[in-house]
Amino acid sequence: MSTHAPDISNEAEHVLGADGEFHVTDEPIDLSVYRFEDWVAFGFFWVLAATVFYQFFTRYALNDSAGWTEEIARYLLICIVFVGASVSVRKNTHIHVDIFYRFMPAPMARAISTAVDFVRVLFLGYCIYLTWLLMGKIGRQSMAVIDWPIGMIYAVVMFGFTLMCFRAVMIAIKHWRQGYSVLERPETAGSDEA
Amino acid sequence: MTSALLTSFLALMCSGLPVALAMAGASLLYVMISGNVPDYVVIHRMVNGIDSFPLLAVPFFIMAGNLMNSAGITNRIYNFALALVGWLKGGLGHVNVIGSVIFAGMSGTAIADAAGLGTIEIKAMTDHGYPKEFSVGVTAASATLGPIIPPSLPFVIYAMFANVSIGQLFLAGIIPGAVMAILMMFTVAYFAHKNNWGRDTAFSLSKVGKAVLELVVVVGFPTAIWFATEAGTDPTWTFFAAMAVLLGADYFFRFNAVLPIMTPVLLIGGMTSGIFTATEGAIAACVWALFLGKVWYRTMSWKMLVKVSMDTIETTATVLLIVAAASIFGWLLTVTKVTDAVAAAVLAYTHNPAMFLLLANLLMLFVGCFLEPTAAITILVPILLPICHQLGIDPIHFGLVMVLNLMIGLLHPPMGMVLFVLARVAKLSVERTTIAILPWLVPLLGSLILITYVPEIALWLPRKFFPQ
Repeated sequence: MSTHAPDISNEAEHVLGADGEFHVTDEPIDLSVYRFEDWVAFGFFWVLAATVFYQFFTRYALNDSAGWTEEIARYLLICIVFVGASVSVRKNTHIHVDIFYRFMPAPMARAISTAVDFVRVLFLGYCIYLTWLLMGKIGRQSMAVIDWPIGMIYAVVMFGFTLMCFRAVMIAIKHWRQGYSVLERPETAGSDEA
Repeated sequence: MTSALLTSFLALMCSGLPVALAMAGASLLYVMISGNVPDYVVIHRMVNGIDSFPLLAVPFFIMAGNLMNSAGITNRIYNFALALVGWLKGGLGHVNVIGSVIFAGMSGTAIADAAGLGTIEIKAMTDHGYPKEFSVGVTAASATLGPIIPPSLPFVIYAMFANVSIGQLFLAGIIPGAVMAILMMFTVAYFAHKNNWGRDTAFSLSKVGKAVLELVVVVGFPTAIWFATEAGTDPTWTFFAAMAVLLGADYFFRFNAVLPIMTPVLLIGGMTSGIFTATEGAIAACVWALFLGKVWYRTMSWKMLVKVSMDTIETTATVLLIVAAASIFGWLLTVTKVTDAVAAAVLAYTHNPAMFLLLANLLMLFVGCFLEPTAAITILVPILLPICHQLGIDPIHFGLVMVLNLMIGLLHPPMGMVLFVLARVAKLSVERTTIAILPWLVPLLGSLILITYVPEIALWLPRKFFPQ
C-alpha cells in the first residue's frame, strides 16, 4: 500500500523551518511508472467517480436518484478490484505473510518461495478458466436494472485474472533469474527490484 | 475433511502466498475435493462478495485520505498543531499526537499515516534534537489512532462482515480515540519531564488564541446549524448559508486548518443526522478534499491527482480482493460448521464474557502481529462474532476492541508492519525500533484494557444518537 511520500531527499533542509512553520514539499511525481493495467483501472475508477457523483447530484439537487447509477457503480467497483489487483501482482504488494522466512534456512526459503510463485500462476490461470465456465453458465442473464448481459462484468473479471496471471508469470521468471523473491528479502517490497 | 479447509488455508498463507489467494485457493481445493458444488461457484461467490453498495465507501475513504495527505494540507495541519501545543514541554511530541488525531479524522488507515506523516514527523523531531527512539515511538503509537477515529477503513470492513451500522461504529470510535490521544500526551509529558526537555516554540498568546479560535469555529459550525434547524429554518438552505459564511470567514481570516479539520465534522454530522449514508459520506469527503486541493488552496497539481487515483486503486484492489476471497472462505467456514466447532470449544471452556474478551484480545493481538488488519477482520469476524452474540457482547463494542487490537498488533514487536515501515523511514534497525516502541505499549494497552472492560466508553455516543 503506497501513499505519496513527502520529499525529504534534501537532508540539510528542515521540514520545520526557523520561522516556526512547517515547509513540507511533495516528492516529484513520475507518471511513467504506470503501465497498461494501471490506466485501464484508472479509466474504470474515474467512470465510477463520475457515476456516483451523478447519483449524489440527482439525489440531493434534483431529489430524484437515478436508479441505474447504483447498479453500475457496484459493477464498476468489481471491475476496478479485479483489474487493479493485477497492479499489486506486478508490484508484488498483495498482502502476504513473510514472517516464517526469517526462521528458515536459505535453501528451504528458496524452494518454498519458488513453489509460491508456481502456485500463484497455476491458481490464477485456473481462475481464468473458471470464469470462462461461469460466463457460459450465467453470462447471458441480464443485469437487475439495466438490460445488459451480466457476462460483460465477468468478461472484465476474466480480463483481470488474465492480467494477474500474466504478471504472475513475469514475476516468477524474474524471481527465478535473480535468485530471490520479495518473501525472502522483505526490504525490497514495492521497489522495482522486487 | 472440515479441518482441511482451515489447514490448507493456514499452510498456503504461512508459506507466503498472498492472503487473498490463500483464502480463495483453499476454498477452491475444498470445493474440488468435496465435489458438492461446481468449482466455478468460487468465482461467483468472490464477485458477489464485493457486489455491495456499502463497499463503495472503501475507495472513496481511501481517496479522501490520500488527497488530504498532500503537502499543501499537511503543512497547515502541523502549523495548527504547533500553534496549539508546540509551546508545551516536549512540544513536537504533542504536535505529533494532535497532528495524528486530525489526520485520523480524514484518513482511515494506520500504515498510510505512518509512512506519509511519519516521515515528516520523525524528520522534524530529529532536526529539533529529539532522540530518534522517542520520535519513532510517538509516531508509531499515534498512527494507531488513524482507524479508531472516524472515518476508518477497518470499521467499514468490520461493519460489512458483522452486519452492523457503519455510522454507529464511527461514532463509537470518537471517545476511545480521544482517550488514547490523552494517554499518549501524558506519556509525552512524562518523557519530557524525565529528560527535562524544553519548549519547541515560545509561548505566544496570540498564536495559541488563534488556534483555539479555529477549534471553536470547527465546533461552532455544526452547533450553529443544529440550533438554526431546531429553530425551524430549512436544513438545506441553512447548510449552504453556513458554508458560505464559513468560506467567507476562511478567506477573510486566513485560518490555518479549519477547513481540513471540518472534514470529519461534516462526515459524522451528515451520517448521524441521516442526511447521507457512509458511502455518500465518503464521496462527500472526497469532493470536499478535491475542492480544498484544487479550488480553495490550489495546492494540488493534476499530476498529483493522477498519482492519488493510482494509489487509491492499488489499495482498494488489495483490500477488496481479500474481502472477495473472504466471502467464499467465510461462507465455507460456516457451512462446514468450523465456526460452530470453535464456538462450542470456547463456550465449553468459559461462559464468562470478561474471560472471553481476555482470550479474544490475546488472540487478536497475536494475529494482528503478522496479518494486515482488513485481512484479519475478514477471518476473525465469522469465527468470533457468533460467540459474542451468545455471550451478549455488543457487536459494536467488539468491533472497536478488535480494530484496536489489530492496530496495536501492527506495531508490537516482533512483527508489526508499522514497525518495519518506521524502521525504514527513520533509518533505525528493527531491533532498536522495537525497543523504541516498547514504552508506548503502556498507553496503548492501557486504553485497550479500558475500552475492553468499560464498554460505555465506546457505546455511549452511538446509544445517544441511535437509541434502540
